[in-house]
Amino acid sequence: VRGAPAIAVLAALLPVSIGGGILVGAVPLAPGDVFGALVGTADPSTTVIIRELRLPRVLAAALVGGALAVAGTLLQGLFRNPLADPYVTGTSAGAALGAVGVIALGSDLAATLVPLAAFVGALASALGVWQLARLGGRTTVLTVLLAGIVLTSFASALVTLLLFASDRLALRLRAVLDILTGGVAVRATSEVALAGLIVGCGVGLAIVLGRRIDAFAFGEETAATLGVDPERTTIAVIGAAALLTGAAVALAGLVGFVGLVVPHALRPIVGATHRTLALASFFAGASALVLADLGARTLFAPAELPVGVVTGLLGAPFFLLLLVRARRRELA
Amino acid sequence: MTRRIVLLLAPLLFLLSCVPSASPAPPSAAPAAAASAAAFPASVTDFQGRSVAISKRPERIVSIGPSNTEFLFTLGAGDRVVGDDDFSDEPPAAKTKPHVGGVKVNLEKVVSLKPDLIVTVKFSDGTIEALSQSTAAVLVVDPQNAADVARTASLLGKAVGADGDKLAAEIQARLDAVKAKTANATKPKVFHEIDASDLTKMYTVGPGSFIDDLIKLAGGTNIAAAAKSQYPTISAEEVVRADPDIVVLADSAYGTTAEAVAARAGWSALSAVKNKRVYPVDGNLFSRPGPRLGAAAEAYAKLVHPELFK
Repeated sequence: VRGAPAIAVLAALLPVSIGGGILVGAVPLAPGDVFGALVGTADPSTTVIIRELRLPRVLAAALVGGALAVAGTLLQGLFRNPLADPYVTGTSAGAALGAVGVIALGSDLAATLVPLAAFVGALASALGVWQLARLGGRTTVLTVLLAGIVLTSFASALVTLLLFASDRLALRLRAVLDILTGGVAVRATSEVALAGLIVGCGVGLAIVLGRRIDAFAFGEETAATLGVDPERTTIAVIGAAALLTGAAVALAGLVGFVGLVVPHALRPIVGATHRTLALASFFAGASALVLADLGARTLFAPAELPVGVVTGLLGAPFFLLLLVRARRRELA
Repeated sequence: MTRRIVLLLAPLLFLLSCVPSASPAPPSAAPAAAASAAAFPASVTDFQGRSVAISKRPERIVSIGPSNTEFLFTLGAGDRVVGDDDFSDEPPAAKTKPHVGGVKVNLEKVVSLKPDLIVTVKFSDGTIEALSQSTAAVLVVDPQNAADVARTASLLGKAVGADGDKLAAEIQARLDAVKAKTANATKPKVFHEIDASDLTKMYTVGPGSFIDDLIKLAGGTNIAAAAKSQYPTISAEEVVRADPDIVVLADSAYGTTAEAVAARAGWSALSAVKNKRVYPVDGNLFSRPGPRLGAAAEAYAKLVHPELFK
């Protein structure tokens, strides 16, 4: 299978990235102590710091990166557009609106309902983009992006409105700010377990849907003649992307460009077959965000940057490059 | 939009002061001795080192900053306060005065109240300069620590024609009494939590803040005593490493409870959690360096050393 060696390498790289991720944190620890905490020979507070604080955070970063990269793969396949990802299509913004809305309702509810609300928000905006983008019968790069901009602006306006209207949000401003700037935050290990479950389902769904998305590459009519129901497949793909985006936003807020860059960079290496691309994207996206989070924590230590700043700084120029290339191709 | 939110975030600590109080009103400090007209004209030096001339007894005072409002009422000048800020809520009468804004001061509203004295906390957005354009005397009074509180009492007393030195001495006596009681006690480690929305960047108190002073007076050791700012951030990793004996939740108004703290990943290992010494506190009493600082020190000491304050 084309891409199998690449997937093996990426899968092997993930534990290495995670190992690097847990070496650095607010409390300086020698690598020997970090290892000791993992095998249970370190002192109690070091063990708590590594096992209950640092490792869950790094695993959360891996899940977020993997989820966004797979969601990006799905959306790029669906829109037959290499410029699509949860961030630029407004799917993330919809998820953030859902999460902020739940926080506005009450902190007691928030912990359990945030992933659900984020999923609902992501689903609504992904469906919205899809409807907007196919107005006039055909989806172009530009209509997808414009629809994404519209939805992102709308969701942002609603979030700001909520901020002004809700006294509770005024007091929980930092929680909202964390969602909008993107930063991996873990309050309880159960959050990571729940996200792992959701992301696992989303990735599984992406792999199952891979063949049908491949058929989409030739257009919906061709797909139909290949025995793929375009309507149902589209809904399933959007559902899976929303599931993955919702889980990612619930854990880390708005983290841009991972979903865009990772599948795009991998396509020349593992090919455009969505089954392999999704799997490779998961491992590569997971490593990428673990390393970006490591950078966010170390670049200006002891201050921590939001990880969204790091991915934005790296991803935005890459996105521009793609946009310029896509325009040239359209004009050529 | 992010910019707006950053702007909103800046006064977060200020917002803490608008948390409704569950405690009864403080015992009404006897209005200081009635001012004699002979006290004016007076000249006072404010917190920005400016020498301000006050020609006659101020009759229309605008107070900006909850601690300033509380001081003015305690000094017996409450009936001369014609306006205060949105967050001034102590004593309850402060809430019924016309408000001139909070995070952002409404200059037109201030002028319309025709003040002859404006007492305000520090602003860096040009508010002070704009207020100084009016005919009123403008005093910048911005207490940050325990020493500032005595200074504020004396300064405002002189400005409004009341016995501020007496109030300063009363507050100082209560602080000294608490200090004397805890002087030889053990010094348990205290983590004072202001905001824990993000457990990697929680807000706490550092040197130079009045709460750091309260922890010391109460006979505790602030785990962030070595921080570089008054309101530094701290990571859960550092809290676990420091292993506080006591956790004080000044963010209880956000819904943070002892149970929620125990449920945080890794926190069940803390001595404070194991020994059930996680205390939600009335944010109002501990949110401002005002005339109730003596009462705040006593309340804090009761948390840290319950055996000494029965």
